[in-house]
Amino acid sequence: MPRLVGIDVGGTFTDGFYLDEVTGEITVCKVPTTPEDQSLGVIQNLALSGQSMDQLALLVHGTTMATNAIIERKGARCALITTQGFRDVLELGRRDRPHQYGLFGTQNPLIPRELRFEVEERVLYDGSVLKPLNEEGLAVLAHRLQNKNISCIVVSFLHSYANPRHERRVRELLRQWGDWDIVLGSDLIQEYFEFERLSTATVCAYVKPLVRHYVDTLRGRMREGGYQGDVLYVQSNGGVLGSALVAERPVYLARSGPAAGVMAASFLAEQAGFRNVVSADMGGTSFDVCLIVDGKPQVLEETLLDFRIPLRLPMIDVHTIGAGGGSIAWVDRGGMLQIGPQSAGAVPGPASYGLGGTSPTVTDANLVLGRIDPGFVLGGGTGKALNLGLAAKALSEQVAQPLGLSLEQAALAVIQIVNAKMEGRIRKITVERGYDPRQFAMVAVGGAGPMHAAAIIQEMGLAQAIIPYYPGVFCAMGCVIGDIRHDFVRTVNRNLEDLDMKEIQRIFEEHIAVGKDLLKKEQVAVEEVVVVVEADMFYEGQRHPIKVPFPSLGIDASTIQSWFEERYQRTSGNLMSGIPARVVNLRTSIIGRRSKLRLEQLATKHLGSAEAAIKGHRPVFFADRWHDTPVYRRWAIPPGSEIAGPAVMEQDDTTTVLEPGLLARVDEMGNLIMEVRNGA
Amino acid sequence: MLDPVTLAVLKGRLDQIVEEMDIMLVKLAFSQVIAEQADRASGVYHPKTGETIAQGITGLPIFVAAMQFSVQAVLQHYDSFQPGDLFIFNDPYLGGTHLPDMKLVKPVFFRGELVAFLANTGHWQDIGGLQAGGFAVNVTEIYHDGIRVPPIKLYDADRFNEDALKVILANVRNPWATEGDLKAQLAALKTGETRFNDLLEYYGTPIVREGFEELLERSERQMRSYIREIPDGTYSYADCLDNDGLVDQPLYVRLDMTVNGDSLHFDFSKSDPPARGPFNLAGFTTISTCNLAIKHLFPDVPVNGGCFRALSFNIPDSVFIGVKHPYSVSGYLEPVGRVIDVVFGAMGQALPDRTPAASFGTTGVTTFAGRLPGTSRYFFAGFPYAGGYGGTLETDGLVHGTTPLSMASFPPIEGAEHRAPILVERLEIREDSGGPGRHRGGCGTRYIARLMAPEAVTNVLGDRVDHPPFGVLGGLPAQANKVIVRRADGEVVPLPMRSKGILTLRKGDTIECNTPGGGGYGDPLERDATLVLQDVISGHVSPQTALDAYAVSILLETTPEGETNYQLDGEATSTLREERRKATRGA
Repeated sequence: MPRLVGIDVGGTFTDGFYLDEVTGEITVCKVPTTPEDQSLGVIQNLALSGQSMDQLALLVHGTTMATNAIIERKGARCALITTQGFRDVLELGRRDRPHQYGLFGTQNPLIPRELRFEVEERVLYDGSVLKPLNEEGLAVLAHRLQNKNISCIVVSFLHSYANPRHERRVRELLRQWGDWDIVLGSDLIQEYFEFERLSTATVCAYVKPLVRHYVDTLRGRMREGGYQGDVLYVQSNGGVLGSALVAERPVYLARSGPAAGVMAASFLAEQAGFRNVVSADMGGTSFDVCLIVDGKPQVLEETLLDFRIPLRLPMIDVHTIGAGGGSIAWVDRGGMLQIGPQSAGAVPGPASYGLGGTSPTVTDANLVLGRIDPGFVLGGGTGKALNLGLAAKALSEQVAQPLGLSLEQAALAVIQIVNAKMEGRIRKITVERGYDPRQFAMVAVGGAGPMHAAAIIQEMGLAQAIIPYYPGVFCAMGCVIGDIRHDFVRTVNRNLEDLDMKEIQRIFEEHIAVGKDLLKKEQVAVEEVVVVVEADMFYEGQRHPIKVPFPSLGIDASTIQSWFEERYQRTSGNLMSGIPARVVNLRTSIIGRRSKLRLEQLATKHLGSAEAAIKGHRPVFFADRWHDTPVYRRWAIPPGSEIAGPAVMEQDDTTTVLEPGLLARVDEMGNLIMEVRNGA
Repeated sequence: MLDPVTLAVLKGRLDQIVEEMDIMLVKLAFSQVIAEQADRASGVYHPKTGETIAQGITGLPIFVAAMQFSVQAVLQHYDSFQPGDLFIFNDPYLGGTHLPDMKLVKPVFFRGELVAFLANTGHWQDIGGLQAGGFAVNVTEIYHDGIRVPPIKLYDADRFNEDALKVILANVRNPWATEGDLKAQLAALKTGETRFNDLLEYYGTPIVREGFEELLERSERQMRSYIREIPDGTYSYADCLDNDGLVDQPLYVRLDMTVNGDSLHFDFSKSDPPARGPFNLAGFTTISTCNLAIKHLFPDVPVNGGCFRALSFNIPDSVFIGVKHPYSVSGYLEPVGRVIDVVFGAMGQALPDRTPAASFGTTGVTTFAGRLPGTSRYFFAGFPYAGGYGGTLETDGLVHGTTPLSMASFPPIEGAEHRAPILVERLEIREDSGGPGRHRGGCGTRYIARLMAPEAVTNVLGDRVDHPPFGVLGGLPAQANKVIVRRADGEVVPLPMRSKGILTLRKGDTIECNTPGGGGYGDPLERDATLVLQDVISGHVSPQTALDAYAVSILLETTPEGETNYQLDGEATSTLREERRKATRGA
């Protein structure tokens, strides 16, 4: 039976999501991640699931390998060639420091200074050439580079977005001298701001050999097993990309895993009938959250991967804060309870793990309050049960006593504060951008997400919380549902009245043609091609553009003016009179929509009634007292059931907590949908 | 007392309100300094005392206390407030900093009761005065700096005072940009007010009021607990500016800092008298500066007015960092830098583990400005210095840091060339500029810009040419600032006061700025020789400095291809370092 497979490699586990496209049957599989060669874990996941490779329809893959290589500085030895006078821009950035207060900070540029070189050439802002490329100088430099054991060269010149000819000529010449990989600043983005363009190209080069090696290794292993198709990868913009393009432009993988999770949330919510969603993934150390409005995840034009390493590419706007099960609770000098940002991580872990950790964590608080089963056995095969006594001791000594609270009150305070942090982040992306949380549902996933979801929606007034049937392999599911996507940008930077509309039309059409051509090369079945056209605009003299969507092509200046004014009014509440509007960048996205998967058959193995799914009762602390609370086996609850809180639903990789006053129903896809009970 | 959970959540919500105001202001602003360099701040202030309750984390640190003084100035000038009032002013003698920083202050009412003030400030690109874009070095009175606005009502119970705006706009260059900045500030305040009202709706006034008191009190307690750990005593430090731009003699900031239990007293009364040129500070600016310097040393104390209750000051108006009307303060960035340095210098004696060596110490604003030929419009390009930070107990200093009083960034070269007729020819690390030390200071930078228009005025407002940033605990000073103006034909024109001056440039003329590094931390002889070798390989340190300052001997070998290879001569280094140590002990 041919199956569609999504595999996401996380820090701890490699998750697989398997879909039989004919029967609709879905299975999942988790194996430990194999950090030294992640492709081994992928193969092990396939093997454990019983999937034979010659019966595999398509493998779509999510990985954070590229980001990890940046953070851990484990990428390739690269050289940089810049316009004369600017080789240090990579290290200098834009004049900053890591924190508002505190005069310290160190950095470690991806290309060290002794491998950064310059050539004579200069292009001006309008694309005209001030100084021609010194090809003799380049030849001398190429000769020097030959003995430096370099695998990748970045070539990034000033104003190359306006005229890339010098960069391209350098590539041509370097190819005669050595077998290097070459990344041009203008390859990835045709947009001004030299540091951001350079940094993006450098990130690309830095991870390129590593990613290409990985892509080749995995494809090789898959071929050996009899899989003839291509492996697709999830990009940071949520679209998927074929392996040949990934090897060429690995920078698109930067936040592949979290992006897949957001795509899954968007898809699942839509299937369940929700258009406005907050995707919330709470794991051991961090909380990833993203806003999905009218079915579309919010996208950011620039993301900081590390201090002074910006990536200027459209990426799904996943906000990450240090709030997870392992976040440590502490009382500061002013007597204020704080959670995080320090985390106990997996080792030593929360106090209750009994692995030597003595700091109280969010997990310890959940254990003390009965939300986590005190008999819960740690995953990963250690076979060790959580230790309630150690959790209580840590919380009591480090939180309850200093604050003069009872143990339960202290544990509850920890939960409330970590919830408040997550709520703050959700509020930042909803309320503070003018969206009413009452019109949003939260998709809560990850090991800890389902435990906190009920309290958060109650506190924030979110409409519902959706706990998917498989909250623990959610990113793997996201791999399976991604569309193919290519983004383009071109800086024009002219006032609307001075624009040649034919030229604008031509740029958009060129983007569309190139994008469609790339789609064809992917050789993946696409049901529909969607084109999105936008411009970055502001009033002349401003610096920060707003994004103006163009509902159609074939445009004239006065129409664009009215689109701009409508957006501007919405953003700022006023308009400027007598100041011309300016178009900074033109943006085009070409999206190849793949056929959608159906989720109806997820929840088929239930026990017939919600009552039958109850495995017992235990005391759980809510608000001000202990409640005798039923504990359900999650898989056993049939679709159509309604359960009133308080209740706890357990499954292998997480526990869902339903607070008193909330009601949960199970839909036909097995999702638990929680909301505040009417009249409660 | 509020329960700790409510308090923490309330604080988080206040922080978000001010952050959103900050973001909005940057997004909508027209002035480069606000939009690209984030020269602005937003906050929530106490309704009775005017103390800061919350400030945005991307706002300029210098404003953390200056904005508190601004709100207090409004409180002093007006007896009563009504819903819909909004005040505007820029008088630096009342609110600190300089004229281009326009402050808007808005009382917020809830159910008829004054609950708080919201305020923001933005650095308008032009405020009138002698020089387009401000920062003129050759001025002697506030009247040369531009238009001074005392606290007045821009809105009186929602009635807009259009006449006041007309007067302001008639006195600035590129008034449309100014109006755009003002609208951005108004839009940010409006958003802040809406969010703040939601908060009041949610908690009710009594809880929010109680939260204000509690937050101030807790920050105070936390700051005092740090001060208590500083050994009691008086610590003195003095450092100076090269000159005041007009009179060629150094201007000394002299500090006696007394630690007494959990309070700190700053006495600046021995500093030099007011300067003739613009390098003066209003007393409030000096207080703000001390507050932010202390916050740099204790970054984890939540920012609000409570942090500063433990600090007291003696800054008479007879010193140049405590002036009153009509002295010019348009060069305020430079004395602010020096006040930070002397606070670090004094604190370094008291808390050597926590205090870094001096940072580059000059905001060094270099501007090009002129009229676009045949129009009434002005172009303006400004390049503030970036430089090295001082070494610390744990690490080398940062390269290309932003000035300590600021979070503002360096403009993108491609953006600057789009907007002004200049060509940037170089932006690079200035080798050897970091002060040697066990942990060396970060390097400064060198940049060169060429004028492409027929004519423009360049105004250089920097410092640290004569007196470089200092090292600590045996660390050496950084390289000093150096500015070189060259005519198109190569002739070097001296800058009138070395680090300061105003000149007319013609097409093809260039200006080269070499910014200082940070001071070194600890004895350079204790720096690991392999690290010194790495510094030489990367070019942050020259082989000569490796030998002279670090006593590290490095062998150079040049290959036939013209490559230079560096190797550590371990034996020679050991001998050299031993000799050097003996010589020091003998001396």
